[in-house]
Amino acid sequence: MDYDSLLNTSSTLGLLLLQSGAEAYRVEDSLLRLCRAYGADRTEVFAIPSLLIVSICDPEGHSHTRVRRLYQGGTDLHRVARLNDLCRRVCRQPPELSLVDRELEALSREPGPTYLRRLGGFAFVAAFFTLLFGGGWRDALCALAAGCVICFSKYFLEGLRANSFFVTTACSFLAALTAVAGVELGLGRQLDKIIIGAFMGLVPGVAITNFMRDLLAGDLFSGITKLADSLLTATAIALGAGMALALARYLGGAL
Amino acid sequence: MEFLRDFLLPCFYAFAACLAACLIFNQRGLPLIFSALGGAVGWAVYLLAAPTGSDIVQYFFGSITVAVYAEIMARVFKAPATGFLLAGIFPFVPGGGIYYTMEYCLAGDTQMFLSTGIHTFGIAGTVAVALLLVSSIVRMLHHGFSRECGGPETGPSSR
Repeated sequence: MDYDSLLNTSSTLGLLLLQSGAEAYRVEDSLLRLCRAYGADRTEVFAIPSLLIVSICDPEGHSHTRVRRLYQGGTDLHRVARLNDLCRRVCRQPPELSLVDRELEALSREPGPTYLRRLGGFAFVAAFFTLLFGGGWRDALCALAAGCVICFSKYFLEGLRANSFFVTTACSFLAALTAVAGVELGLGRQLDKIIIGAFMGLVPGVAITNFMRDLLAGDLFSGITKLADSLLTATAIALGAGMALALARYLGGAL
Repeated sequence: MEFLRDFLLPCFYAFAACLAACLIFNQRGLPLIFSALGGAVGWAVYLLAAPTGSDIVQYFFGSITVAVYAEIMARVFKAPATGFLLAGIFPFVPGGGIYYTMEYCLAGDTQMFLSTGIHTFGIAGTVAVALLLVSSIVRMLHHGFSRECGGPETGPSSR
């Protein structure tokens, strides 16, 4: 058994899973099962959102370890499902490792959601949440614009490699400004509903959902990382919108 | 007519909003529709729990429904439950709470700022506890099953 290849393949699978936003316990469980399927019984896996360690002990007692550091992750449910599927298939009937490598390579090259999907996603999340929280159709139109602004500024700033706190603050600031402009122009009626709707594209829903699952699974590190992430994101959102509202009030007073 | 306006319409909005959220998370195919449906089902329960008079209770039952729905769909589609959970739980993330807390802070109303902030935290905690409850029970049931199939004895699945 070539333990080095197994190590490379499994750690790549784990890295892709983490990058696509899978929970730590899923990554650890998948990799353990994968390694076991190839006969590496003495395997240890440790995963947190920014790091992956896989260590295999061969029959002679030599340890083979691979550490993968993860810098940026997103959420790509389609890819998580595909990777999960691949892992299940491989565990049921282990093929040649090079075949698994090729499939992983293809999966990693697959682009995420297209720009149009993201734009539509952010715009309609904003519009429909505004309606859900009691806004009228005029408010929903304002929120639609604010959602588009969030999408544009998010991808522009992420292209500049800005950190996520700054990106969220800036997006929230610009979205709130758009909402204020919409209300000033006479289109929107309820400023709060518009801004809350637009916020929903930014709120740390993923982190809030996952941190409890991680804590529960005993992955305290991942859980606390995600909890901190969600608190930071919530602060960033409030900060950005607060600045926009303060600015609007200041300008309103000066005019 | 009132039933339509006060019940069906919000559920439809929740469905559409979750559908849009799924687009951002790159959910595809049939699971896309079914994850969004989770949001609508959860919101329906949220609305039905309105007579309890406490929005914390409403949030609790709403998120429990979403979590149970997500676990069922995960078994049906043989896909990770998280995918269904992420979209469905979206309407229960307290975006409004964050906004009003910020607004009171800006207005200098410390009393309201604190009480709204704590209330927001309470909602987030309620949602988290509801998810915890469902997924602990599912894990407990699953544990026996995975041992039968020869799962790892000291691996994550035994935790």
